[in-house]
Amino acid sequence: MSAPMNGDGGAGPTDAAEPNQAELQIQLQSEIDRLIARVEETSDYKAPPFSPQALLRLLEENAARFQPEALRGILTKLQETVSADLLDLDTWKGIWYIVNYQLQSQADLVKRRVRGEYETDDWGLDSEFVGAVQPFLTFLYRTYWRVTTSGMEHIPAEGPALLTSNHSGQLPWDAAMLGTAIYLDHPSQRIARALYATWFPTLPFLSALLTKMGQALATVDNGTRLLQEGNLVAVFPEGYKGVGKLFRDRYRLARFGRGGFVKMALRTSAPIIPVSVVGAEETYISLYKSQTLARLIGFPYFPISPTFPWLGLLGFVPLPTKWYIDIGAPIPTSEYGPDAANNLVLVSQLTDQVRNVVQDMIYHRLEQRQSVFLG
Amino acid sequence: MEDKQTVLVTGVSSYWGCRVAARLLTLPGVHVMGVDTAPPDKSLEGLDFIQADIRNPLLTDLLSEENVAAVIHLAFAESERRSEATFDLNVMGAMKVFGAAAAAGVKKIVFKSSTLVYGARPDNSAFLSEEHGLTANATSGTLRDLVEVEAFCNGFRGQNPDVALTVLRFPSIVGPRVDSPLTRFLSSPVTPVLLGFDPLMQVIHEDDVVEALVYALMHDAPGVFNIAAEGVLPLSKLRRLAGKHAAPVFHLVAYWGSPLLAAFKLPVNRVWPIEPDYLRYPWVGDLGRMRNVLEFLPRYTAVEALREFAGRKRLEQLGPESPGLAYDEERLRDTIERRRRARSPEESPEARPDGQEPEMIADTVGPDGIGPDAIGAEDVGEEVV
Repeated sequence: MSAPMNGDGGAGPTDAAEPNQAELQIQLQSEIDRLIARVEETSDYKAPPFSPQALLRLLEENAARFQPEALRGILTKLQETVSADLLDLDTWKGIWYIVNYQLQSQADLVKRRVRGEYETDDWGLDSEFVGAVQPFLTFLYRTYWRVTTSGMEHIPAEGPALLTSNHSGQLPWDAAMLGTAIYLDHPSQRIARALYATWFPTLPFLSALLTKMGQALATVDNGTRLLQEGNLVAVFPEGYKGVGKLFRDRYRLARFGRGGFVKMALRTSAPIIPVSVVGAEETYISLYKSQTLARLIGFPYFPISPTFPWLGLLGFVPLPTKWYIDIGAPIPTSEYGPDAANNLVLVSQLTDQVRNVVQDMIYHRLEQRQSVFLG
Repeated sequence: MEDKQTVLVTGVSSYWGCRVAARLLTLPGVHVMGVDTAPPDKSLEGLDFIQADIRNPLLTDLLSEENVAAVIHLAFAESERRSEATFDLNVMGAMKVFGAAAAAGVKKIVFKSSTLVYGARPDNSAFLSEEHGLTANATSGTLRDLVEVEAFCNGFRGQNPDVALTVLRFPSIVGPRVDSPLTRFLSSPVTPVLLGFDPLMQVIHEDDVVEALVYALMHDAPGVFNIAAEGVLPLSKLRRLAGKHAAPVFHLVAYWGSPLLAAFKLPVNRVWPIEPDYLRYPWVGDLGRMRNVLEFLPRYTAVEALREFAGRKRLEQLGPESPGLAYDEERLRDTIERRRRARSPEESPEARPDGQEPEMIADTVGPDGIGPDAIGAEDVGEEVV
């Protein structure tokens, strides 16, 4: 919808470009008509009778209900069309229809949510919820940590793949950012299903949130099933050892679990895609891990940093470091066959191989990085 | 009479015994015998009822004398607290019935269990297979007995290889008539949930429970099967489909609260019918064996089962004078959908009732919008002029 229709607003249209533009306009118009016809067919919704004054009033009244980008898009479009075809009634009618439809669907959304008439998949993924949370994650991704992602082409457009990443930063922000990167920047907008540790299901809100985002508990069963269903799965084999790393151990990979992630990949012949996240390791400065406090409140680790726990909730605010997510070339596993999952030698070899690849990718990125905050 | 297969239903006067016996009586070629301590409902016409306790040692003689081919064991007493009386009926009763059946040469036993036996635990995978251990943290009497019987079944299977023992594990049961923890949960004015937890849950319609038990009895399928309706629902969605508002309670309060209620002799299973763990962690069974080995498909999906339940509840509140026409329409639509699915089972995955119109439009416009059509051509004329 928000694709610019006539480039730079006619900065210097040549004679050759003129018919092209007209053609494009006609094509677009016929497509919009078709779209409207289709919408009318599939839903009972009928727009109220149209008048330009009513449209502007409607827009003004409901300005707050749109997302800022959507509103800006509509207004820009209005501005464009006002200069172009102010007198073309059809254009106005089209806009009238779209605005009304959007408002109606928002009102319907609330009703549907209350009645439980929304779609969730068997893992609890709620696409509408993901859409609602995404602006915040996008802010963190684009603005706060200014994440630079490379190697997106290594992630297949469809079919299973196992992303294997380093883990750091006390709180699993790196998992959220990896998911956001793929959601925002991958051409087919895939949802990465991250596998999380056993501690999270015991936490209120976080457990519900993770389920709604389509994530699952890190068990070999879950990973295998998700891959079999053709999902993109993200694992962080370092687990607590990685996420609870002390500041002085940053970028030194911990043991890669017990190789469960390799078994998942072998059983399903899914490629393993190594991922390195650089920048996350400096978001919190953990100087010391208190065993006593951790045991006392049932946490797997309890970091002591310059800000936590001294500043209370403020201690949770991560530092705005500059992040790099590098996605490496896939390591195929199909050549070994599904029975290879029981071959302990192969599993441990592959585990070490993947760990070395991720470690190398981290060192490679650290070599080029000049500043923690500026990149 | 001679060529009829004799099936014995234990606990025939209980709700499930009655339902299953009624269903079996509709089948041709089945002679239905029922055993219970109290006479059953009058409606069970044609039932061959024998008044006896299942723990009676003469049960073996009865089984061999009557040439019983299959036993469906439904004598099981629900109980909130552990008690010797219910343990004796539930666990010792099952042992005695199974033992008598094996001694009398009965070929098949069907037992109704629950996916509760897996336990709701933070380290549960999203889908638990039948091989998953009986790891329930049994606090209620019912659950403890169920786990005990299931453990006994595992041993029994090894010792009596020529008796086909089928155990069906059902999740929470909903339906207009049944009294189950979930229906109690959804019948209270507000549903007590745990603040910040929203586990995934399975349900099954009461009619499908009966169907599954009869199906298992009629088909040769030894082993354990999880049986649940299509669709795994988050608790929040489940509750909303049933039209209920939530009363969130901090989870520690819930854990401390239920023993406290019990201590004051308050009816815990009315106030808090589902144990806190089961409202906190997932306990979803994998349905692969049900679909592929047993080849049984429940007729109601989870959403349909809940919608029907909610509709009945709404009607009950309004009284019989004002039958909601909208509800009737909704129910009929679900029924038509269900029957259509039953006729053509291969279509079932696509047959989701809820609309996804916006997405569908987005999908279809791309490939269709090739070249200008008649309307576009008219517009060309206007533009050029």
